[in-house]
Amino acid sequence: MTDEAVKKGPEHTRRSFLTATTALAGAAAFGLPATGPAMADARKRSPKRGGTLRFGTRDDSVGLDTHRNIIYFVSHPLTGITGGLVDFDDKMEPKPAIAESWDASADLKTWTFKLKRGAEFHNGETIDAQSVKWNIERIKDPKISHAFTRSVVSGVERVTVDDKYTVRFHLKEPDVALDINLIYYPVNLMAPGAADKADTEPVNCGPFKFKSWRRLDRCELVRFENFYETDAEGNSLPYLDGLIGLPKKEDRVRLTALRTGELDLIDNVAYADAPAFKKDHGKTFETWPVPQVGTAMMFFNLKNGLLSDKDNPDAYLLRQAIAHAIDREGIHQAVFNGIGSIANGFYSTASPWHPKDIEPSSKFDPDKAKALRKKAKGGDERLTIIANDTFPYMHQSGELVHAMLKDAGFNVVLEILPSPVMLDKQTKGDFNIDSTANSYRLDPDGWFGRNILSGAPENRRRIGYKNEKADQIIVAARQERDRAKRRQMYADVETLVNRDLPMLYTHYVPLMMAGNRARVKGYTPSFSGPWSYAGAGMRRTWIDG
Amino acid sequence: MLAYTLRRIAQLVPVVLVLTVAVFAFVEALPGSIVDTLIGTEGGDVEEARAILTKEYGLDRPVYERYALWLVRTLQFDFGNSLVTRRPISTELLSRIPATVYLAVVGIVLSIVIAVPLGTLAAVRRNSAVDYTAQVISLAGISIPEFWFAILCVLLFSLYLGWLPSSGYVSPLEDFWGSLQFLILPAAAIGFRQAAFTTRLTRSSMLDELSKEYVDTARAMGLPERRVIFRYTLRNAMIPTITISGLQFANLLGGTVVLESIFAWPGIGRAIFEAILQRDYPLIQAGVLVLGVIVVVMNLLVDLTYRLLNPRVKLA
Repeated sequence: MTDEAVKKGPEHTRRSFLTATTALAGAAAFGLPATGPAMADARKRSPKRGGTLRFGTRDDSVGLDTHRNIIYFVSHPLTGITGGLVDFDDKMEPKPAIAESWDASADLKTWTFKLKRGAEFHNGETIDAQSVKWNIERIKDPKISHAFTRSVVSGVERVTVDDKYTVRFHLKEPDVALDINLIYYPVNLMAPGAADKADTEPVNCGPFKFKSWRRLDRCELVRFENFYETDAEGNSLPYLDGLIGLPKKEDRVRLTALRTGELDLIDNVAYADAPAFKKDHGKTFETWPVPQVGTAMMFFNLKNGLLSDKDNPDAYLLRQAIAHAIDREGIHQAVFNGIGSIANGFYSTASPWHPKDIEPSSKFDPDKAKALRKKAKGGDERLTIIANDTFPYMHQSGELVHAMLKDAGFNVVLEILPSPVMLDKQTKGDFNIDSTANSYRLDPDGWFGRNILSGAPENRRRIGYKNEKADQIIVAARQERDRAKRRQMYADVETLVNRDLPMLYTHYVPLMMAGNRARVKGYTPSFSGPWSYAGAGMRRTWIDG
Repeated sequence: MLAYTLRRIAQLVPVVLVLTVAVFAFVEALPGSIVDTLIGTEGGDVEEARAILTKEYGLDRPVYERYALWLVRTLQFDFGNSLVTRRPISTELLSRIPATVYLAVVGIVLSIVIAVPLGTLAAVRRNSAVDYTAQVISLAGISIPEFWFAILCVLLFSLYLGWLPSSGYVSPLEDFWGSLQFLILPAAAIGFRQAAFTTRLTRSSMLDELSKEYVDTARAMGLPERRVIFRYTLRNAMIPTITISGLQFANLLGGTVVLESIFAWPGIGRAIFEAILQRDYPLIQAGVLVLGVIVVVMNLLVDLTYRLLNPRVKLA
């Protein structure tokens, strides 16, 4: 127990006076989240409880309304306030949260969720079926929500309330992955009674409550005493008294602040710094390499221009030439400092969805690249690479690819641009190659259904790829309950992608977090880096000393 | 003096009006759109969302209409809401401006405290060891980039010696002594560089004044050297120094983005920079306009200070 916690003495919520039930004790003994009417009954105080963690992040939320804005669960302190119907564990598998159980109809078009009784929003409002319905309808409203969040529930036709604690989702098409898509990122629940204050004092249902926020400066959260989750001994979570988010955009500024003791935990240790930091300061600071589902890639513009089959009969030859010209090992060493691994598909080996049998994309072969470029119509014409200036690895990869294509004789220019200009150019098709990345598609349909399927808005807007066989597999995979079969279906799509080259996967994006060993106890980041997840992460972290 | 001051204030009106046109036009000319930034991608109903937001933010109206509306509101000190955070822009700016003003004021004061005595001493003892030392220090200050000096300061005072925090901000209203700890390094980084310029300027101005006849006359009349230097010469030599320091101060209010990033200082420069990246039009317009008005007002104050320093300066 920390000194601070000792000074405070035992602390009780009104619920802790209630009697624990046997069922709850049984659940708690296995470390499961407490459920049902007695959910909070066994809440007690952990001896580990206490402390306020200072978390240095690369990024910050743009606003407080968690439906209107993306609350990025790796690097936004505000993530701590968010919670949803479904949670996930360290393997990114769906776990009960506000929904204690769920099932789908035989045709996968109707999903029924049973809610925990007694779960509350931070203002004490009960989380019931009506409030869940209100939240999903708010997220589906294009006047309010962010497109990314809205796209996750775009297949939901309507939500109905069976009883106070049963809510039913009616889908337009069968979807085997609705539960995973209802994970709190991004489909989080906010209190309907506090919606008018969503932009100033958000009230949600995550492990921490909102206290204050000054954008890109400081975000203060305090423990939500009535959070539903408990540890294996039945102690209420989270352990921390509070969390102070201190966004510091520059990676080395964060690292320095960690070393000087101004921060306890930081995200995104720069790739260039990670090996030396671990070697020189490993005794004082813990470094966590986070298994990733993020992947860097080069998108090719198939909508129009030199690499589009519509505009250039030799576009495929040119795409092959480009793929042969790109040395992904060079990107691995120069951009990622040898951390992580080269990608052949979207899901890394750390992911349960990593495909086993896929045909890899073209190997690095500069001579073949030169020969193909010379042979192809338009091989001497100018190509434009665009790259986002926000993420260093994106524009650094763009710079390397630019140099590699130059070496292969391409007439190529590179434009490193801010996001609004990137969006504009992508939509207008004013580019040939886009150095980019994508992540946090917990279920493969999140990636394939939203980026590879020919009718998907993002594919139409940005790539323009169409392969009927791939489309058929992706649609069929949405209805396949057998996981092994489903994984093989996506592997088949990956093979088609690697063959057709609408994009070239380059590298799995690694993520490093670091913390002060002496102070930060019990912390582990989840798969792909979120710091708030079922059973561990920031919820089971406490500060020592 | 009063008539002159009022006349100068009246002259500011057209300047500020031109400024509003320039600010509005600059924001209009930015490539990319706030609407695209906000709606993101992947939504199946992007066009519908775009139409809704475009209408909500009034972006479907003609430019002149939007400018007129913005101008009327701005004259009433109503900057509207940020399109990104949806919070009042006055709140956003007021949460940032004090941090910037705090840093700039202390930085400039520090630079004057260093530069004026050093420049004066260097001029009075021309070609002495003091003069050479002052010149070398000021040359180093001008040559070393501000951000590099800041990083060196962080390495030495935060990382190796552990005397000061490496980054962050605490409001002096919340904890004055605590805030000084966070202020010292960024203010020193600003002060050192600004002092380098000001030292050289003060030295050359002093040398110029010292060669004038009134100084010889004062000395011939038997006035003590200290009085000649501090009462008469320095006062005249301060006019260019005040001019430059005033403009430096105005420049610092919006021009410390790099230092604000290194020290994670929540200043107005970074806020405007972020707003530009996200195309938060009203915040950019309000921020740039406020900074522009501050520059204009600083110019006025500098002009008025001439008269205070030297009553012989004619106010035309």
